[in-house]
Amino acid sequence: MNSAPGSVVIRPLSELDLGRITAIDERLTGVYKPDVWERRVVYYLRRDPEACPVAEIDGKVVGFMFTDLRSGEFGLEETGGWIERFGVDPDYQGRSVGRRMFESAQEYLRGQGATVLRTLVGPADSDLAGFLRAVGFQNAPLQALEMSVP
Amino acid sequence: MNVDQTTLPKKFHDAVLHWQRHHFPDYGLLPEMWHKYFPNDPEFCLCAKMEVGMGDTIEVGDQKGQPRMLEPSEMLEDQGRHLLSIIRAQASTEFGSIQQHEVTLSRAQEDEDRFWVLRVMAEELRHGYQMFHLLTSQDWSAVTDQSAEDMVEEILSMRTGSHVLDAFNIDYDSFVDNVVFAAVIDRVGKYQLAMQKVCAYKPFAQSMPPMLREEAFHLAAGVVPLRRWVQRAAQGYELVTMNAIQRSLDKWVPRGLEMFGHEKGGDSNIRFGFKNLKNAEAQSQYFEELQKVVADLNTRYVRARFPRLSHEEAEALVTRLLADRTKFEGVSWEDLLTLPDRRYFRRKGVPAWTMVGTRGESFEEVDAYVKHLAATLPDPYLHSRDMRQYVETLRDVTAGRITADLASKKTPNLKRVGGVCPCSKSVRWVVEEPVTAPPTAA
Repeated sequence: MNSAPGSVVIRPLSELDLGRITAIDERLTGVYKPDVWERRVVYYLRRDPEACPVAEIDGKVVGFMFTDLRSGEFGLEETGGWIERFGVDPDYQGRSVGRRMFESAQEYLRGQGATVLRTLVGPADSDLAGFLRAVGFQNAPLQALEMSVP
Repeated sequence: MNVDQTTLPKKFHDAVLHWQRHHFPDYGLLPEMWHKYFPNDPEFCLCAKMEVGMGDTIEVGDQKGQPRMLEPSEMLEDQGRHLLSIIRAQASTEFGSIQQHEVTLSRAQEDEDRFWVLRVMAEELRHGYQMFHLLTSQDWSAVTDQSAEDMVEEILSMRTGSHVLDAFNIDYDSFVDNVVFAAVIDRVGKYQLAMQKVCAYKPFAQSMPPMLREEAFHLAAGVVPLRRWVQRAAQGYELVTMNAIQRSLDKWVPRGLEMFGHEKGGDSNIRFGFKNLKNAEAQSQYFEELQKVVADLNTRYVRARFPRLSHEEAEALVTRLLADRTKFEGVSWEDLLTLPDRRYFRRKGVPAWTMVGTRGESFEEVDAYVKHLAATLPDPYLHSRDMRQYVETLRDVTAGRITADLASKKTPNLKRVGGVCPCSKSVRWVVEEPVTAPPTAA
């Protein structure tokens, strides 16, 4: 499909995105982890590629958002969409790539019956928290707890 | 997912399971290992899945804007016949690929690769089952004299060598073929399913989205093992080499290109509202996508050889090596994967029987071309019946004993029926249930 130069095109995840997704993560974290991303991408392809929007600009993958539809977990009976992983190439941040992916995921998950969207964010990750609040997320009544396994 | 699930009437369901016992004996391993390899995934279901919520209006063709058809009797006779042939061909591919995969499945070096392919096979069985649902749940008597039982019987009777499309009549030589087939031939399936989402016959259109979701994993079951193999090849692993992968690509890509139909065809599919792309258009998009697969594999290979390079630097090096046909620190352009020329080793379509090499070079003599094929195809495949028939037909075409058109039409030699159930107690896959006499009043 042709699109205006520089415009953001959103489409479902495919196995062909592996190289670029790995590269985006490498730019964000500084570590090259092809095996990890192969495993993750295959997992989300098995779940539902349409729930995982990928952003392209001029034919280049510049962002990804992996979501999953679930219900009955943690006593949450209603069908909910979980935003589990996402990343935007640093060279393309500030161009609404994340927002466009979020809107696409939200629309798709709503169509699949989701009545709520959830995610987790670390207290130190203020940029991510800021983005999530900007698209409509608020503090949830549930609190994340954890412990080390001795 | 917004899908309705349904099972076939017992005699057809049993026929599929009966076929599975003979042609897909490893199917029983899947439930045992499901949670190990596919944790959190819903259990596999041998059933037909129909997408809910698809539009009721025809999207393309002469009837664009009219209501989608719900029964075969609503279609024009030509239209119905054409769709029936598409459904049968689709069903044939599903069962055909299982027969091919099964032969070399046990040769996988890694259990994970094996169970990924096993899941692919199970989902192909479901896709065949889906096509049977379309054939058996509606009355097709307006366009065929065959009963539903006979249509199912015919498809279940096909073997490698008698399927509708060439790609499903070629034996696998090793597990490399299982993986390359998933990356190359299942990709054609993805295109066909995506094009058929617009189908004017609603039950067929509704069958496509669930199949497409499953197909996404099938492509990954090809590409991801290939990515791991090229990495190992770069690190000196000798059991799967770039050369072995290249030869398998050369074997399957020509058949994939031909699965789109003749490059000048496809008008009927659009006119009838069955697909939204003509053959050549879809084939070109497919080829471009294959180029991305190969570029990705080459980048993975180069990064494994030169870990100091970034993704972008590795991509640039691959491009330069191939463009300049040069070397860099011990890596030659010839070590990298390339797609064969679109005209290479073709037996259908515009370039059929033209003797074009992998890099686009032309050959005048059959013997020289056969030598080129021997240098570019997997060695075991050279000794196959398919290859022998190809070379014999090529000699006939070049000597003028047969036209290229006729040669294409007679390939493959179809033997549609004849592969009856090998059970000693049965001669048919579809077994009619015994008629139970109604109770009589005393």
